[in-house]
Amino acid sequence: MATKNSDALAVETRPQAGTTSSNALRRSGKIPAVLFGHGAAPAAIAIDAKAFDELLHAGGKNRLLNLTIDGSGKDTALLRDIQRDPISRRILHADLQRVSATENVTASLPLTTTGVPDGVRNFGGVMDLIMHTIDVQGPANALPDHLEVDVTELGIHQHVTAGEIVLPPNFTLRIDPSTVVISVEASRTEAQAAEAPAAAPAAGDVPTVGETAPAEGSTP
Amino acid sequence: MLTPKRVKWRKVHRGRMTGKAMSGNTLTFGEFGLQALEPCWMTARQIEAARIAMTRHIKRGGKVWIKIFPDKSVTKKPAEVRMGSGKGNPEFWVAVILPGRVLFELAGITEPVAREALKLASAKLPISTKFISRAETEAAS
Repeated sequence: MATKNSDALAVETRPQAGTTSSNALRRSGKIPAVLFGHGAAPAAIAIDAKAFDELLHAGGKNRLLNLTIDGSGKDTALLRDIQRDPISRRILHADLQRVSATENVTASLPLTTTGVPDGVRNFGGVMDLIMHTIDVQGPANALPDHLEVDVTELGIHQHVTAGEIVLPPNFTLRIDPSTVVISVEASRTEAQAAEAPAAAPAAGDVPTVGETAPAEGSTP
Repeated sequence: MLTPKRVKWRKVHRGRMTGKAMSGNTLTFGEFGLQALEPCWMTARQIEAARIAMTRHIKRGGKVWIKIFPDKSVTKKPAEVRMGSGKGNPEFWVAVILPGRVLFELAGITEPVAREALKLASAKLPISTKFISRAETEAAS
């Protein structure tokens, strides 16, 4: 598990909300965002796009952010959501939640695996990361960047459950511990490739709700 | 080929293909994926051809997810038939694809193999596509 520290981020309040002003903000190299939580009114803010990109590339998604608001105001927050353009992946909007450093918060931590499973190495299996993130609860100032799971010993048809993942001290799991998060299964692609394309029924032969499907082997 | 088992209505309106895919635009299961860059009606045959091209290249190992389903029927009137007399007969099934939609996902293989498999799959499709990987996506977030 990677250690974490906090990051500094300068933000400024934006007087106007709405599509037009948000688009103008994006054109000027800033990202519209909202700062909410702790019972205070949500504040519309703007973040410098370059600084925010650098923060994300440095792995700051789950780090506590020390915000400087308009050069003077101080606050601490966690990045909760990022909206992106589906194609260009450009950031369109960010959600920041006010948290105190020692407060217990819920966060989705990404899972990373170490090693190659025995079932993949020796038996031609496929490792399936069923859950890419795990919901945990713990102090905001100790959130790790990711959780590591050693899968070296995992044989074919074996799995790792959420309860088996080693969490940092003071952290608890927010999902059912019996949930399967990683499994190693036999590969099916060879069988899939060999299978001939099944003769699909013509579009007109598919029954509508209320009708019965044509019997197997009957001519349409 | 992928076809619905049962539908509520056999014939549907043509609809419009505007905007971008606001759902299904991220990798959810696999490590690598193929993302649409243009809107289209993708037929069940095209999806099947792409799947076969992909799985043949992967040969052994790996896992494939098809994230689109052709649930829209397309009708056609027979050749040399005068206009009128109602809508034609359902002929084939299509999936409505908007730009940004992740079409296929792969896991359990190396990036070069995934790139080549998805390139072969892309050649069977009527639109331009983009290779995406979880590593790239996570590096940027």
